Amino acid sequence: MAKFTSLPQIQTAIAAGTLTCEALVNNYLKQIEASRQLNIYLEVYAEEALAKARELDQRYQTDPDKVGRLFGMVLSIKDVLCYKDHEVTGGSKILTGFKSLFSATAVERTTAEDAIIIGRVNCDEFAMGSTTENSFYGPTRNAADPSRVPGGSSGGSAVAVQAHTCLASLGTDTGGSVRQPAAFCGVIGMKPTYGRISRYGLLAYGSSFDQVGVLSHSIEDAALLLEIMSGPDDYDSTASQKAVPPYTQQLNFSGKTRIAYLDTALNHKSLDPEVREQCQNLIGTLQQAGHTVEGVDFEYLDYIIPAYYVLTTAEASSNLSRYDGIRYGHRSTHATDLLETYQKSRTEGFGAEVKRRIMLGTFVLSAGYYDAYYTKAQKVRRLIQEKTVEILKNYDFILMPAAPSTAWPLGENINDPVAMYLADIFTVQANMVGIPAIAIPVGQHSNGMPIGLQFMANKFKESELLAFAKWVMEIG
Amino acid sequence: MSNSIYDTYETVIGLEIHVQLATASKAFCADDASFGGDPNTHVSTISLGHPGTLPRLNKKQVEFAIKLGLALGSEISLYNAFDRKNYFYADLPKGYQITQDRKPICIGGSLEIEVGDTKKTVRIHHIHMEEDAGKSMHDQDAPHSLIDLNRAGVPLLEIVSEPDLRSAEEVDAYMSAMRRLVRYLDISDGNMEQGSMRCDCNVSVRKNGATALGERCEIKNLNSMRYARRAIQYEFKRQVDLLESGGKVAQQTLNFDPASGITSPLRDKEDAHDYRYFPEPDLPPIVLTKDYITAIEANMPPLPWALLRQFIEEKALPLYDAKLLTEEKETALYFLALCAHYPDSKAISNLVINKILPYCNEMSLTIYEFPLSGERMAAFLQLIDSGKVSNTIAYQRLFPAMLQEQDKTPMQLAQALNLLQTDDADFLTTLVEQVLAEFPDKVEAYRKGKKGLIGFFMGEVMKRSKGKAAPQTTNELLRKQLEG
Repeated sequence: MAKFTSLPQIQTAIAAGTLTCEALVNNYLKQIEASRQLNIYLEVYAEEALAKARELDQRYQTDPDKVGRLFGMVLSIKDVLCYKDHEVTGGSKILTGFKSLFSATAVERTTAEDAIIIGRVNCDEFAMGSTTENSFYGPTRNAADPSRVPGGSSGGSAVAVQAHTCLASLGTDTGGSVRQPAAFCGVIGMKPTYGRISRYGLLAYGSSFDQVGVLSHSIEDAALLLEIMSGPDDYDSTASQKAVPPYTQQLNFSGKTRIAYLDTALNHKSLDPEVREQCQNLIGTLQQAGHTVEGVDFEYLDYIIPAYYVLTTAEASSNLSRYDGIRYGHRSTHATDLLETYQKSRTEGFGAEVKRRIMLGTFVLSAGYYDAYYTKAQKVRRLIQEKTVEILKNYDFILMPAAPSTAWPLGENINDPVAMYLADIFTVQANMVGIPAIAIPVGQHSNGMPIGLQFMANKFKESELLAFAKWVMEIG
Repeated sequence: MSNSIYDTYETVIGLEIHVQLATASKAFCADDASFGGDPNTHVSTISLGHPGTLPRLNKKQVEFAIKLGLALGSEISLYNAFDRKNYFYADLPKGYQITQDRKPICIGGSLEIEVGDTKKTVRIHHIHMEEDAGKSMHDQDAPHSLIDLNRAGVPLLEIVSEPDLRSAEEVDAYMSAMRRLVRYLDISDGNMEQGSMRCDCNVSVRKNGATALGERCEIKNLNSMRYARRAIQYEFKRQVDLLESGGKVAQQTLNFDPASGITSPLRDKEDAHDYRYFPEPDLPPIVLTKDYITAIEANMPPLPWALLRQFIEEKALPLYDAKLLTEEKETALYFLALCAHYPDSKAISNLVINKILPYCNEMSLTIYEFPLSGERMAAFLQLIDSGKVSNTIAYQRLFPAMLQEQDKTPMQLAQALNLLQTDDADFLTTLVEQVLAEFPDKVEAYRKGKKGLIGFFMGEVMKRSKGKAAPQTTNELLRKQLEG
């Protein structure tokens, strides 16, 4: 069977009678089987997906208008998104066996439009990591080179799409967790404006940063999924009340645009020369096509990562308090009183990186340190927001590498958390500011790994961002 | 004890009162917020803190907080934000409590209290909104603790006073006044037994005349006024004894044990909780408009002190009556409603205080459930005022009869029961003659100048008439017979 890269291809094939949903799901299940060694899926909903496919085929037979807009969309979901009556563990031991009693709004809206959820995919524990090595259920491997990491934390989602085990995947992006693995795996990764998609049913890591995102092969699919998942939600007070534009209708880019790139980013010492070259090539191409592409000053680049880790870990230390072994999840069998129940359940249930971030976050919120760390980091965040918004007053987009390098070998940075954190340097800015950003594949490194670049736009400029990214991919 | 060493010290007390708001649903989700229910039945994924859940604000609690602030003369903050207070406990599902640490909704204000004949103004520091925790029960299934999360997430207001209170009596008066106020405002039932109102007391002592505050101790979770009173009295003695024996009061959080009547340390300052407050990222700030607050102000219910003044100034009631009638808003409004039917407010006050309230108490009715209408009550008072039924007979016999036979008017009942007063001269003359014949020695004594005996003769005639003898006519007849 052909490897589909967009929903319109699938819907056309079904309409032509050459494909059924059932055959499609069977094909994806075969792909899942064939890629077992990559450790993408934590759970495959084979029977359920097939049953839904057959039901959809039947409904379509009766009346092709009776199916939803995501008819033929086979999705995997990151293991931090709740799906009613299904396990959700956040890649953690502490939630082993925990079944959610409700569906995340994002998931609910896709299934309401007849998407088929084929399984739950691996990620770094509670989305904390850049390689998917921090999963209690073992690392996921990059399909382009299984000795290398897929990026993270939505590494399972990226490889699921890369290895054609589903058409698209729902991930989450707190500091680059959708865009960086997308770049590492050669697929598209889109993170919308903060608040564009409800966070209800997303296992919180850094609440003021977390956003649901999409990993896909095509811009059309990303646009459609985004359009369906976005919008106000009674269950999330931070979800935007702004009406959702029909992204799928606004994908035709035309005209000339103004693009900024950050000199500090392009000259950053951590940037791989080949990634820089790809970036420069694209700048040249865009300029030749008549767009204005200019370097701008951005003196705060090196403050982004420290501020980000202070703020997200502070929020995380509080968000993860609910995993205490009392009401659900792992409870130590060696505890004799309440304090021990907390200490042992959490010690046994959380992995090293999560513990590190809980401790860091607890520290920065402590009496006597709060102002020096948390308050200061808030100020840095505001400065970065102001400066970025200022840039976006003069430019339509900001161009950045998605990551300083391509995917590295498993285990390489695992004992150097700071080096690992610095790998987020180009993606975190969008989360700090709350703006939309998209990573697109632009080429291949001499090491054989994909290279991805990203564009950022101002808040709620998803339409413009998607249309331009589509145009860039087409001319590339 | 007049020269006791204790007399040379004063107690300084500040109160943190927690008031559970009477909203239908919880502070940040749609769960039932009412008291009781089988354990863990008023819960949902949100109040249980399940992964992926988020809070959503119940706007009613904001309205209630503003009402209280307006009543106390507080400044209402237009910009409100929530914070997280982080700590681990088995009855705190999320591992943090949503509260207002930086931007409380009400700032300042005051409440007037009265102890004996002395009035005093207690200043309010601030009032903030927060959510309640669940309930832990440690003694029902030892060694296990049982957790009921029905209460988890119920909205609370924490009312923090300045250290303006000086005695257990003042604390009592302050708590009572606050309880009355929240009930008047319909924002809480103020029920201390069910925990709708609880308080923490900050207690310190200092030498009379001193201006600096002493080191304070916080006594937690006092859930009845009696406990609060005992705890404060105990703590006062403890701190004075400590200072007098050359010791120092250490800043501590204390627990009061009602069984033994003593306080004991929960934790010292050194191991005080670090709650790691920070802005709640899941709830955007609430920005209130002046119009919103004005609209609430326009719909404020009457306040106890306003009604008290009205009852004294407009209705000319004695202070005693006015206080009793304004104790509960329902009573006060009921009294006012009766006033619309009948002009003599003192007569109405007597009726409410002596008959209607006791009856409702006995039958466990609210005053609105009192079965007789305002018209009936007015007709009843009219019968007394017009002299058709004596006051005593009316209260003792007619009132119970009215409750027995609610379809009959007071006049119908008075007639049926033969309770109407009579000034029938023939009938009364017969009775007067009977009485005078029966007590010749008393008649003689009267005639010799013991005029006070007229009351005795009146009473005897009244008895024989079964209370129906019209006093005026009877008196005249008696005098005529005795003196003429």
